Amino acid sequence: MSSISPIRLSPSVDVSQMLASATGPIGAKGAAGPGGVSVAQFEKLAASLETRPADFNSSSVASALGSDFSAPSSEFSNVLTQMVREVSAKQAVAGDAMNSVLSGQGVPLHEAVIAGEEASLSFQLMVEVRNKLLESYQELMRMQV
Amino acid sequence: MIDILPGIQSTSSALNAERIRGDVIAQNIANSTTTRDAAGHIYQRQEVLFESLVPQAGADGGAAGQNGAQVSVRIAADSRPPRLSPDPSNPGKMIETPDINIHREMTDLIISQRAYEANLAVAKSAKSMALQTLAIGKRG
Repeated sequence: MSSISPIRLSPSVDVSQMLASATGPIGAKGAAGPGGVSVAQFEKLAASLETRPADFNSSSVASALGSDFSAPSSEFSNVLTQMVREVSAKQAVAGDAMNSVLSGQGVPLHEAVIAGEEASLSFQLMVEVRNKLLESYQELMRMQV
Repeated sequence: MIDILPGIQSTSSALNAERIRGDVIAQNIANSTTTRDAAGHIYQRQEVLFESLVPQAGADGGAAGQNGAQVSVRIAADSRPPRLSPDPSNPGKMIETPDINIHREMTDLIISQRAYEANLAVAKSAKSMALQTLAIGKRG
């Protein structure tokens, strides 16, 4: 029971929109940066993970599912939000570095390229986490009750 | 901050060091036949010395030694005396030119270029490993 992930999607999440974006251009791997899904959309997804319906009562769910389930549910969404911020920061760093190279401010070329690669890889990692999250959600929605 | 490319700090510092070595070699070759600078001094051949540098704890917010040793560069002047050659326009007078051996500079340049390529290969391999790791569990 303790292995249940504390993720809860509230009904206020526009699932159809999320699923549409899941099969969108980001399905093609490596679409980092301005193309594909933007960091802002991830922020929205992370924020929607934090929101809960007004009538959500963790104690009633806990009594239904066992005591382990009553742990605070926002841990994973905090991690996700943090990750989104870090990826956004890396993209900003990479953009600044490349701008500095192009305007001749003494930043070595390899540092800008490495920063770009780091931003791209971090973005792909974030996309993989998002894909996995949506996959698990879809799996749950397919469950016969 | 996630460290998505392992060892990239060391590689980046090494690339920087090789770039500086290339700069110094270019400077040596360019000045191999100059006689004096604006102040009247003869050009002294420059040499790079690479030293390994382990980042201190908290220097970049990380733990000590987490990113491995980096390369720091020191530039030192070669203290060999200048070469003397007769001045054709002033019989009996000598001209001082820096004691720079072009062949040695060219072999240094090749070494520097190959070292740069080796570090680029490390960076490429790190990226390839990260991408392949992200593809764990993919269908197909």
